[in-house]
Amino acid sequence: MKLPGRVWVLVNVVIGLVLAACPAIRAADAELNLFAWSEYIPQAVIDGFTKETGIKVNYEAYSSNEEMLSKFLAAGAQYDLLQPSEYTVEALIKQNKLLPLDHARLPNLTNIAPEFKGLGHDPQLKYSVPYMAGTVGIVVNTEKIREPIRGYKDVFQDKYANRIVVVNDNRELVSWALHTLGRPINDITPESLEMARPIVTRWVSLIKLFDSDSPKTVLLNGDADLGIVWSGEAAILWNEDHKFHYILPEEGAHMFVDNLVIPANARNKDAAHAFINYILRPEVSKLISDEFPYTNPNAEARKLLSREQLENPASYPKATKLEIFRDIGKQSAAIDRMVTDIRSAAGKADKE
Amino acid sequence: MMSTVESDNQPAASHDAGWIQWLALAPLLAWLGAFVVVPTGIMLVYSFCQRDELGQVVYDFTFENYVRVFEELSWATPLRSLAAGVVGAMIIASLTALWKYRTGRQLTPSALAGPARRGLLVAAVVAIHLEILAPHFQGVYLRILWRSAAYAALTTLLCLIIGYPVAYVMGTARRRWRNILLAAVMIPFWTSFLVRTYAWITILREQGLLNATLTAMKLIDEPISILYTPLAVVIGLVYAYLPFMILPIYASLERLDPGLIDAALDLGARPLRVFSSVIVPLTFPGIAAGVLLVFVPAVGMFAVTDLMGGAKVLLIGNVIQNQFGQARDWPFGAALGIVLLAMFAVVFAAAAGELVSRDRGRGIWRRRWPGRRGSPPPGQEDGASHLHVALG
Amino acid sequence: MTRRPGFATLDAVCRIWTGLVLCFLYLPVLAVMVFSFNKSRLNITWQGFTLEWYRALWHNTSLMTAVNNTLIVASVTTVLSVILGTLGAWLLHQYRYRFRGMIATLVLVPVVMPEIIMGISLLIFFATVNDAGNRLLEWMGYARRPLSLGFTTVIIAHVTFCFPFVLIPVQARLASTDPALMEAAMDLGATPAQAFWRVMLPNLLPAIVSGALMAFTLSIDELIITYFTTGPNSATLPLKIFGLARKGIDPSINAISTVLILLTAVLVICGQFFWSLRQGNMEKERAHT
Repeated sequence: MKLPGRVWVLVNVVIGLVLAACPAIRAADAELNLFAWSEYIPQAVIDGFTKETGIKVNYEAYSSNEEMLSKFLAAGAQYDLLQPSEYTVEALIKQNKLLPLDHARLPNLTNIAPEFKGLGHDPQLKYSVPYMAGTVGIVVNTEKIREPIRGYKDVFQDKYANRIVVVNDNRELVSWALHTLGRPINDITPESLEMARPIVTRWVSLIKLFDSDSPKTVLLNGDADLGIVWSGEAAILWNEDHKFHYILPEEGAHMFVDNLVIPANARNKDAAHAFINYILRPEVSKLISDEFPYTNPNAEARKLLSREQLENPASYPKATKLEIFRDIGKQSAAIDRMVTDIRSAAGKADKE
Repeated sequence: MMSTVESDNQPAASHDAGWIQWLALAPLLAWLGAFVVVPTGIMLVYSFCQRDELGQVVYDFTFENYVRVFEELSWATPLRSLAAGVVGAMIIASLTALWKYRTGRQLTPSALAGPARRGLLVAAVVAIHLEILAPHFQGVYLRILWRSAAYAALTTLLCLIIGYPVAYVMGTARRRWRNILLAAVMIPFWTSFLVRTYAWITILREQGLLNATLTAMKLIDEPISILYTPLAVVIGLVYAYLPFMILPIYASLERLDPGLIDAALDLGARPLRVFSSVIVPLTFPGIAAGVLLVFVPAVGMFAVTDLMGGAKVLLIGNVIQNQFGQARDWPFGAALGIVLLAMFAVVFAAAAGELVSRDRGRGIWRRRWPGRRGSPPPGQEDGASHLHVALG
Repeated sequence: MTRRPGFATLDAVCRIWTGLVLCFLYLPVLAVMVFSFNKSRLNITWQGFTLEWYRALWHNTSLMTAVNNTLIVASVTTVLSVILGTLGAWLLHQYRYRFRGMIATLVLVPVVMPEIIMGISLLIFFATVNDAGNRLLEWMGYARRPLSLGFTTVIIAHVTFCFPFVLIPVQARLASTDPALMEAAMDLGATPAQAFWRVMLPNLLPAIVSGALMAFTLSIDELIITYFTTGPNSATLPLKIFGLARKGIDPSINAISTVLILLTAVLVICGQFFWSLRQGNMEKERAHT
């Protein structure tokens, strides 16, 4: 019986051809596999590196620390450079996933400003090099809101109900609550979560939306008047219109630091070190600052920035030493469980 | 739900599958085996593991993830809801029967009554749960699962109502218009989802197009806040899934025999009657396909709630996403996914009758003729007689 | 199907309804097109008219590469999905396999599974297979590690969740197809393969086209699964756009979307025009003979 026999043979042939034609051949030496935040490393910087060293850079992107972690942990030895935030660096160090950096190959490391050395997650910068930093703070549309806003308590007032935007990060929410309680933000225990719970519950009822990707959109739209967002977003808003003021909450704020690290199983450790050293050059770091108004940890690069850039209150807030997030391990699940419970209960209330 | 139109055709799959047929199916089986079974198996294994500090799996066997999904589930509530569901379905079924008996027609198992009865049953159960019993689900994750199913069901219903006439026009149009309409329906979805959604945000925001138009027409005084509410989520979901309802129905409608419609009109039926009693039932496979292709993905959808709902409405897709994200609890996320899968498997099994066919099947989801094995009663086998029955 | 007098009102109502639905479908598309001329880089509020984004498109290599990759992936995915889906639907419909219920349920698993679970599990699978394969090749002497994430893995992942969208409409259509069709063809002397190819396939064409359209649409918009299964050189447009959200999605994305939409619309209309011309010619020929 002939059947669709001919057809399925054809099918097999086609599938076979397609599969055979597609594997990506990677030469192991003259390439650098970079796994970084999307749109966080300017193309000019990458091109400059390739021109100078002849090493091809394969830039793969992600949009959150956890996305990066998921793919990195599942995919095995694929990457030579990662760009995690500080608490992720700490977690990776604890799990021995990172390569200790060879400082001899990183002479430009001295350019890093002193306040970025000695931080809790990697005090001697043994495994990581700060790339860009920022804070999480309050943005206010001063055209719509005339009263002074100084901290979380001022933001979460009943009169601002449904005008507030916050980042979609459960841990952030809890840490702000802990700030208002005067408790350390990395002290995540069942007791501290219980104390934070009523505060977060009340806040969630006042929030209009959660947005981690682009909270600036709703602020520019006019659909929200104030929010607690990343400083990078606030800096963009300031550059767009000076009516958006950025304030670090008086109860306490924390900063985040994005770092360059090398996985322990990276294939091109030399190229990775060369890239890090290249990034640490002041003129290269300046290029990065030009594209992204975050806080530049490179003291030498800061000398090259324009006055306007340095005066952006979101990029360079006048603040003393700020806390950072530490790795809390399994407690992240406890936070998620509590906040999911709160948010789903709130949602149920106004489900049509 | 996936029943074939029993009365419309002869049983087709009457040949047993020999080795060459198995060989022909081999590519599909291999594909399913490698890329569906194995990854699902990986997730199944993960769901019984514990997590380590980074959120990955530690191969220590545990049930705790599943316990957590069903936490705070007291035995009283499922029994209560089951009872209420059965009662509600019985009420609706009796009302339907009463109506039919009232007009003197016999309650025959035609293609319309069977699936419609089932659909009503499901609808009754879901509605009763949502209205009366959902608050009793104390468990966080069960609550969220129910809500996701509710949103998906609402989306499916709306897509069906909105999409059917469009599919009808497409299916009955002349060839040239048909192709143009096909393209016209799909082209908006070849822009990126994010771009489309941001466009919706531009339209729906307080100073956006919609509010501006409504204010200019003096229909409202103050801008209405649609964005970041459940209404926006429903709009976004319906928009995203409309073509997946329209296309399968169109495919089914396109082969509708115009002779049947002529016959119905000749028998004296009004157009609306012809529509509801002839056209809709005969396109039931298309409707079933559309419902399947909308409801199932909609339950797991999270992007629309994130963007248009402002992440305020938490659906199961968001929660699962979170487990592989901030919460760093892969085993729990895997458990939630497996529970979702199991839920669907149970529903399919119930709707399709059984999972392993023994009679002559008429398609891959075979439905046993109610009350008897084998073929439909004589006289129900071709479209014309079905027509006669449907019109009474 | 031609119009019937009795159906005039019903047809008219349905047509108006379709028009309204099309307006609903195209409203955001129009917004996208309008905003592609927006002067504001952040593209959130309208700030004036400009053509600069269209001019810049030509030089925006990363965007063009992303579009290219997306189209390649989507096309191959659609072709493979159609083959797999149609064949599967046909075989399962025509022949009685022992585990057809289980196969049917398995087909639906990729549709049910949340994308992140599918993505991660496929990634783990690919990573394991790639690693093992590379080691094997190394052992056999070929040390260049050719197996890695890239187009192949992305396409495989896409086909896996797209082909059910072809299989299900085709199966639905098969369910209401008269089996006498195939029997008649074979009675007239066709082999089963010929009967399938020349009689059943044309009959199934609307369902196949529907499925192909759905598969294509799903593939060009797929974000999460692509993220987990892609390599650095096969990044698609959704990945790029999502990544831009932090910096601000500038109007060049709107511009490329507008270009693609207009191109497709033009292609379809031209195609229809030539097709009806061809039909007209064929009919004239038939009239002459």
